[in-house]
Amino acid sequence: MVDGDTIVLQCRDISVHYGDVVALSDLSVAFDRGKIHAVVGQNGAGKTTFARAVAGLVSAQNGQILIDGKAIPPGNVSGARQAGVELVHQSFALPPSFSVAETMQFGAQNRAVYSRKGLEKRWQKHLDALDVKVSAGQRIRDLPVETQQSVEIARALVTKARVLILDEPTAVLSPEGTAKLFERVRRLQEIGVTVILILHKIREVLAIADTVTVLRGGLLVEGPIDTSGIDAARLSELIIGPDLRVVDEDDRAALTGSAAVAHTTAMKEAADGPPVLDVRSLSTRVDPDGPALDTVDLTIAAGEIVGVAGVEGNGQRTLVRAISALADVSAGTIELDGVTMTDAAMKARRLAGLRVIPFERNVEGLSLSSTLWQNWSIRMLLERSILAFIQPAELRKRCNDALDIWDVRYDNVSQLAGSLSGGNAQKVILAREMDDQARLIIAAQPTRGLDIGATSFVWDSLRKAKHRGCGILFISSDLDEIMDVCDRVVVMLSGRIVEAFEPPYDLKKIGAAMTGLSK
Amino acid sequence: MSDRIVSIIRALIFIVLALALCGVIFSIAGYSATGMFQAIIDGAFFRNNALTHALRWGMPLFITAVGVAISFRAGYFNIGAQGQFYMGAICAAFAADWLNGLPAAIVIPVCFLAGTTGGALWSLWPGLLRLKSGADEVITTLMGNFLAGLLLVYVTSGPLKDPSGSGQQASSTPLDAAYRISTSAGLSPVIIAIAALVGISMWLLVNRTAYGVLSGLAGRNATMVNWQGAKLVNIGLASFIISGALAGLAGTVELLGPNGRLASGFLPAHGFTAILIALVANLSITGIAIVAFFFGGLASAALYLPVIAGLPATAIEIINASIALFITAKSGVIDRLVRWRKGR
Repeated sequence: MVDGDTIVLQCRDISVHYGDVVALSDLSVAFDRGKIHAVVGQNGAGKTTFARAVAGLVSAQNGQILIDGKAIPPGNVSGARQAGVELVHQSFALPPSFSVAETMQFGAQNRAVYSRKGLEKRWQKHLDALDVKVSAGQRIRDLPVETQQSVEIARALVTKARVLILDEPTAVLSPEGTAKLFERVRRLQEIGVTVILILHKIREVLAIADTVTVLRGGLLVEGPIDTSGIDAARLSELIIGPDLRVVDEDDRAALTGSAAVAHTTAMKEAADGPPVLDVRSLSTRVDPDGPALDTVDLTIAAGEIVGVAGVEGNGQRTLVRAISALADVSAGTIELDGVTMTDAAMKARRLAGLRVIPFERNVEGLSLSSTLWQNWSIRMLLERSILAFIQPAELRKRCNDALDIWDVRYDNVSQLAGSLSGGNAQKVILAREMDDQARLIIAAQPTRGLDIGATSFVWDSLRKAKHRGCGILFISSDLDEIMDVCDRVVVMLSGRIVEAFEPPYDLKKIGAAMTGLSK
Repeated sequence: MSDRIVSIIRALIFIVLALALCGVIFSIAGYSATGMFQAIIDGAFFRNNALTHALRWGMPLFITAVGVAISFRAGYFNIGAQGQFYMGAICAAFAADWLNGLPAAIVIPVCFLAGTTGGALWSLWPGLLRLKSGADEVITTLMGNFLAGLLLVYVTSGPLKDPSGSGQQASSTPLDAAYRISTSAGLSPVIIAIAALVGISMWLLVNRTAYGVLSGLAGRNATMVNWQGAKLVNIGLASFIISGALAGLAGTVELLGPNGRLASGFLPAHGFTAILIALVANLSITGIAIVAFFFGGLASAALYLPVIAGLPATAIEIINASIALFITAKSGVIDRLVRWRKGR
């Protein structure tokens, strides 16, 4: 055996640009056969681009990718597939209306004619062999997220995959789900598959990977490093980089998921007056965006950040929509600052101080093809009559001032929101929703997709609002973030609040509540 | 480069490309392309009274096109301007018939009221279907065009039929001259005043009210506006109603002005040309004023070509169709071209 034979995947000087943005620059890295490799870095570090380049989904502008010493054609999915590279996407790409068997067939050899029974029989064996507990006849849309992911992995292994890349597979999983995934990954390693995991949290890297490779800003920082020779603190330094020394220690740990932060600084001033949010026995009808709420009780005092943990799709969205007068309430009451608002229109709720940072920044939060000043001023405009006279010049000036205070990087307020980076776009939303009249701020996934600088900016802003006396409802699927930021945590499961936690938090207990195992 | 300049350049590129394509088509059809363009430009803008004619055709087109822009801005593809235009004319004609004999100071305002209401109602039902049950407004407004066209045939050969008509084309009894707001030449201070009023009020609505900003935002991202708590239904209905009312107003202007009576199938391309104008002008009210004048010129040239120059009037339709063709390429080639220029 020649020396180079231990290397299964080698990247030589890969660079990928999207327009003016450099996503990867001169990346050279080599991965050994038969090991579990982790690739880590903050958002925007180039992890996903790396995965997509290796799988042939994006074409590197220069450089070479070699599998078993043979160069694969750039930007060619079937070429990468033939060489044995398979990618499981971050957001699953399975067709929801297909059955499991059809999905598997889809990724395999094409045969024009097949019988449903034959397909199911054929693929059930494959699924059983990989210990994926699912019936091949079930439809994708009926499966829980974790099973969908297992199916996607099984689909990727239909061909003789030698390198399996999983792009942020843990982002959608509960801690238990993550543990199960890691078992599965280890079994794949045993049958000789080289697994590359794109990960976000140091805890997970150290739990599963043999080596770790750190990317930052499209550049290779270091790697692959043997995980036996590195500790969480050092790894967190590599990921964050030198420029963010200011971020406090707890935040750093939460940002990189290096340790479960025992948040103990719960600061509850004896708030006089009514709570800013008082939701009692709230139930809704089925919402187009998620399950119905089932007798939810939730109180948020002034100066308190309450976190909602839970696997995505367990009613968090319906909760936000109900408080924002978007979901159809069937029973129960909603009070804002002591005033009953159960049937009030959003305008009245806004005037009472309700502010919402929605889940999907680019869809629910901003109109990307509209100007910054229009995006920024919509909240104020909606507080007036629809025929109210406006002076765009004055709005532009006020928008300009507000965006400057929030340190948004932009050219002028007439540029389109779509031209901003994710962090800057989120700051525009913060500038709109976190004004001085805010009483209750709903922050739904406010840091999703943001880099470390922008994430800690969002956290600091929320903490400042809390010290001003705002109540904050903080929704996130990232437990490290929730535990670091929140004074109290409730867990949602299937439209209900199943358990509440006070600091110091126990990651395991919260995780168990998320999957319903604690009861 | 500011967005405004980009959209002007884009509109110019549309027209130049469309004219180039027309030149090719004219040549293939055996006409001298330069001669054809010469005749069209003469007919549109340089013969005697050409500007008056361009304005005569441009004014009603402007009014309807502004209405189209109002609904397109809010994200609703109300392509029923033609039907709403007809309904406006029909309702105004009924009002005039009903009040025949009363003083003009009563009849004319009532006709305008009836015409705008008729147009608005003809836009309201597709709007309600769209906003309450999600029925695609493109389909319903298109059907509305056919229904209104058939209704016009019925009205002109039934209830309002001119008994002394020649029988070549069904039409209503000509209006009393006292009720006309212009001669058949079609340009009068009243019409100019109406167009100006529409232009100014709609410009203010779009650029100086909360509705203007909100409807634009809703048109580009309704989900976001919904999350902000706006009543999308109200914004949508207002947009449908305004756009229908303006088309109805244009129908009334045509009836009380140049036409003087209702004729079956009159101005069959009016609403579609208005859509074209709104799109070329990128839905800007000021832009529509300029583009409507240009298309008004083409419309008057269409009448001039066969009579004076002995050329086919369909040349103008080919020009319109070519412009429409390039507008559909809007988001593709031309945007990329503009971006490329910006990048340098």
